[in-house]
Amino acid sequence: MSSARESRTIQIPASVDHLAKVRAFVRDSVADFGGSKRVADDLVQAVDEATCNVMLHGYKSQPGDIDIAAELRGNRIEIRILDRAPTFDPTSAPLRDAGAPPAPTRPGGMGLGIELLRTLTDEVHHSARPDGGNELTLVRSIAGPTQEE
Amino acid sequence: MAMTIDVERLGGNPPVTVVALTGELDASNYEQVIDIARSAYADGSRGLVLDLEQLTFMASSGLFALHSAVRIMRGETPPDPEEGWGALHQMAQDEAQAASVRLAAAQDPIAHVLERTGMLRLFALDATRAEAVSALQAG
Repeated sequence: MSSARESRTIQIPASVDHLAKVRAFVRDSVADFGGSKRVADDLVQAVDEATCNVMLHGYKSQPGDIDIAAELRGNRIEIRILDRAPTFDPTSAPLRDAGAPPAPTRPGGMGLGIELLRTLTDEVHHSARPDGGNELTLVRSIAGPTQEE
Repeated sequence: MAMTIDVERLGGNPPVTVVALTGELDASNYEQVIDIARSAYADGSRGLVLDLEQLTFMASSGLFALHSAVRIMRGETPPDPEEGWGALHQMAQDEAQAASVRLAAAQDPIAHVLERTGMLRLFALDATRAEAVSALQAG
């Protein structure tokens, strides 16, 4: 098994015009790792939301770079999103109560995007990078349904 | 993948605009959907069908656009993308009046996102655009 099958990276400018590249990267990575379409759909959605949040909330539409790495570890896909924006931890945002009405907000706001990135993955971890910026790790099992099924 | 939009204005009562979205709806293009809803309302349409058959991805910004379309078709002031709607306290009204916007032919990933975010409270999902138009003009 080559290392290329187990780890992939991409760097993009912090602009929403590059979100399509991010989605293609995630979809290709999951396929490369042997994941199902459903796993790919969930991760594409979660990573799009997380990356968009970095662009609009983190960098506030100012220039910057975002590095994304996808890795297969055992039966888990880990996707790390690294930026140099001010520290922000999306895992600290309160989730909507079950049954409560949705509240769509502007892109980059504290709304359904953060809810999606957290509920479509098995784990989300945030850490502040020692030299500035954020590292957000999304983890999804490559086998089995998402948690709601 | 970019998104393309085809707009068709239908007669009937009420006048209905059908908007077919092809590609991916995300933070780079969601405002186009809001603009089209605004134009449709200004031109006299009182029903809006979003044909999602060829839409392969919808980000949360797309959900914001759909919600904005509901509010616009109610005749409310267009949204400010910098602020968004104050959604929570308005939601009961939205649920009651969302009948003017219907979604047609959503693919599984889109329907899944709508379902798990609770947005299906706002919209009826129809199997085809023809069914959606008929439902809007049935009354």
